[in-house]
Amino acid sequence: MIIFNLMSIKQGQWAVLLWPYLLTASIPLDCRDEQGGLSHCPSISQEKLLDRVIQHAELIYRVSEESCSLFEEMFIPFPLQLQRNQAGYPCITKALPIPSSKSEIQQISDKWLLHSVLMLVQSWIEPLVYLQTTLNRYDGVPDMLLNKTKWVSEKLMSLEQGVVVLIKKMLDEEMMTTTYSEQGLFQDDGQPEMLEYVMRDYTLLSCFKKDAHKMEILLKLLKCRQNDMHSCA
Amino acid sequence: PPSAPSTKCYRCCTSHSSSSSEPFPLSDPCLSLFFSHCISAPVGPHFTECISREQETFRCWWSPGGFHNLSFPGALRVFYLKKDSPNSEWKECPEYSHLKRECFFDVNHTSVWIPYCMQLRGQNNVTYLDEDYCFTVENIVRPDPPVSLNWTLLNISPSGLSYDVMVNWEPPPSADVGAGWMRIEYEIQYTERNTTNWEALEMQPHTQQTIYGLQIGKEYEVHIRCRMQAFVKFGEFSDSVFIQVTEIPSQDSNFPFKLALIFGVLGILILILLIGISQQPRLMMILLPPVPAPKIKGIDPELLKKGKLDELNFILSGGGMGGLSTYAPDFYQDEPWVEFIEVDAEDADAAEKEENQGSDTQRLLDPPQPVSHHMNTGCANAVSFPDDDSGRASCYDPDLHDQDTLMLMATLLPGQPEDGEDSFDVVERAPVIERSERPLVQTQTGGPQTWLNTDFYAQVSNVMPSGGVVLSPGQQLRFQESTSAAEDEAQKKGKGSEDSEEKTQKELQFQLLVVDPEGSGYTTESNARQISTPPNTPMPGSGYQTIHPQPVETKPAATAENNQSPYILPDSPQSQFFAPVADYTVVQEVDSQHSLLLNPPPRQSPPPCLPHHPTKALAAMPVGYVTPDLLGNLSP
Repeated sequence: MIIFNLMSIKQGQWAVLLWPYLLTASIPLDCRDEQGGLSHCPSISQEKLLDRVIQHAELIYRVSEESCSLFEEMFIPFPLQLQRNQAGYPCITKALPIPSSKSEIQQISDKWLLHSVLMLVQSWIEPLVYLQTTLNRYDGVPDMLLNKTKWVSEKLMSLEQGVVVLIKKMLDEEMMTTTYSEQGLFQDDGQPEMLEYVMRDYTLLSCFKKDAHKMEILLKLLKCRQNDMHSCA
Repeated sequence: PPSAPSTKCYRCCTSHSSSSSEPFPLSDPCLSLFFSHCISAPVGPHFTECISREQETFRCWWSPGGFHNLSFPGALRVFYLKKDSPNSEWKECPEYSHLKRECFFDVNHTSVWIPYCMQLRGQNNVTYLDEDYCFTVENIVRPDPPVSLNWTLLNISPSGLSYDVMVNWEPPPSADVGAGWMRIEYEIQYTERNTTNWEALEMQPHTQQTIYGLQIGKEYEVHIRCRMQAFVKFGEFSDSVFIQVTEIPSQDSNFPFKLALIFGVLGILILILLIGISQQPRLMMILLPPVPAPKIKGIDPELLKKGKLDELNFILSGGGMGGLSTYAPDFYQDEPWVEFIEVDAEDADAAEKEENQGSDTQRLLDPPQPVSHHMNTGCANAVSFPDDDSGRASCYDPDLHDQDTLMLMATLLPGQPEDGEDSFDVVERAPVIERSERPLVQTQTGGPQTWLNTDFYAQVSNVMPSGGVVLSPGQQLRFQESTSAAEDEAQKKGKGSEDSEEKTQKELQFQLLVVDPEGSGYTTESNARQISTPPNTPMPGSGYQTIHPQPVETKPAATAENNQSPYILPDSPQSQFFAPVADYTVVQEVDSQHSLLLNPPPRQSPPPCLPHHPTKALAAMPVGYVTPDLLGNLSP
């Protein structure tokens, strides 16, 4: 697995939290078959699968938050760090009709929830892969940051698989997992150190953090709804 | 515009303080900005903060700043922009609360994960903020404090000084934790009452936590706050709860009582025991058996007391009803140390060892060392000699197989010859010696064989400077072979150096001390002196007279005289002696050369150098042991 540098307390906390999740969360997604298609996982129950998917999402959010903070400390000049409290930057928004309030979420169906999650996840796989490559070209980038982003990128792919399986189980629909395309949404420009590109990467990380949080909550509300419809008001 | 730095710096400072708990770093650009602008310039209208309590609604507060003309209600208006679509518009605050200068966004107007931007506008659409105050709702969440804070006592330490407490609470009711809408973690802080150094426990998401190590008697104040996991902003602290545990009196009162009880019982038991012992001497015997006093068989312990040396010596010399004679065999049989006298480091010839095992004397006997210098240096050569605890303090040089210091040994007791084998193999090594001059030791065959093969108790008459011991026989022995030995000696004279292989030859070359078969047990000093006449000057500090291997010549006269003793006299002009060899020799004096004088000389030549030489001569013939008080007299 990835070797993490346990220097700061944050890292320590994260590592401590990480390992039990890794043990549990890395297990269930062996339901893919050889061709990359899907198969049922008869050995794992739906509840457990959903739990593990939620754990994935929680961890992904936590790690992405730490990565964003790290990046901010290292590369963003302080005045521009105010954007932590502000969201005056555009995120990669697609026309995703994703509900954005609790009431809205509670009103939509399970199917719509799951599809929303899947859309979110799939929309971030490629940008994260791209982020890996750009981060490598930064000067003095700490290994921890690289490791974390790499980890997140991998876990996101696992999450995607899990959601696909979940959809298959709950909705009985077949979905396709993302295939990589070399041609990403972003061009690989030179001069990564320029502020413009730094800000772009920073925006990427922040937006992903936000969306990770969204994924987590969507899944949790779904779970609540699965358990008990009425107490999730 | 002039207000630009002020608003920028203001927001910089407030946002920094609200977002992190760390103090300003000194190199902070915000700090420099603050000092340069914030202090002096008046601050314009601005938003103080926007907070959401449960991630479903939020509120924003503003302040007119230094512009007091805008402080009346309605002077400032709040506009927001919700960037959920590309063509969104600025809208005014849905719900004002002018008293509190607050703008409230209810559930319908609140969307999570969507950026909001706020603006303060004046009456005539004048925008007072240079930068919009933008955020997303999940980042401004400060949860309400947990409720129902309570504590229970877990345990008290055995020492009674500290205790552990379990604190539990409920999550804030406004936060929908159950549905998973908010993931909350809690932080407990506690302190002693009326102090302010709060101690924070580690954050964790459960609704209970243990505080360890609180002290009895002190009162503690505990409060709790929470925040969303992986977020930064904390909510307010809850109301404090007070914890105090006073001492438990029962434990204190029990302890001394128990202690007193135990001590009392022990004391009574001891008392009974003492009384019983004093009344019953038999009991006393059992419990406190008498310590055995030193005893020697056949000798009255009374004699061992001071002043009764003569009687003791008499008895020991066998003058009594054969006390010693019957005593001696027992004596040496009982003494394990006799058996452990090893003479030298023999070669690894097991057979030879076997032969020799029975005879310590044999081991002690060694081919004499001809050259004095060799003898003197023998010790030095024996550095490599492994000196295990064999009782020989001598510097035996195993390579040379010669024991420079020779044991004029006389075997003392008749014993059974072990076998017809050569018991003098030990001494056969003498031939191995390559020294030019070998002292011819008269060999003894036959008879000496007998006694040589047996273990016996040999009295050490003298100790060589090199460490060898001179033994003297304790009893009369047969001396049959003296003549034959004399013959052998003539043959063996000068033969030793070339005869290195003839180990099988039953030649034993000894340098023997003539034993006086008188049975007196002691050798006179004259004899001793004759015995031990060092060819060279004694080494300083040697302390002993050395008996050097000397060429042995047959002395028919000596042999004839020594019919009773099985020893061969070393025939040297110096070493003619007929002294009776005794079991024990009393050291009467120490002369100027630090020799132990067994019989004090008649003072022919008083040593000039040592005027303080002790001249105490015992009146009586030395017959006995050197007692410690005598020893004191002997030391120069």
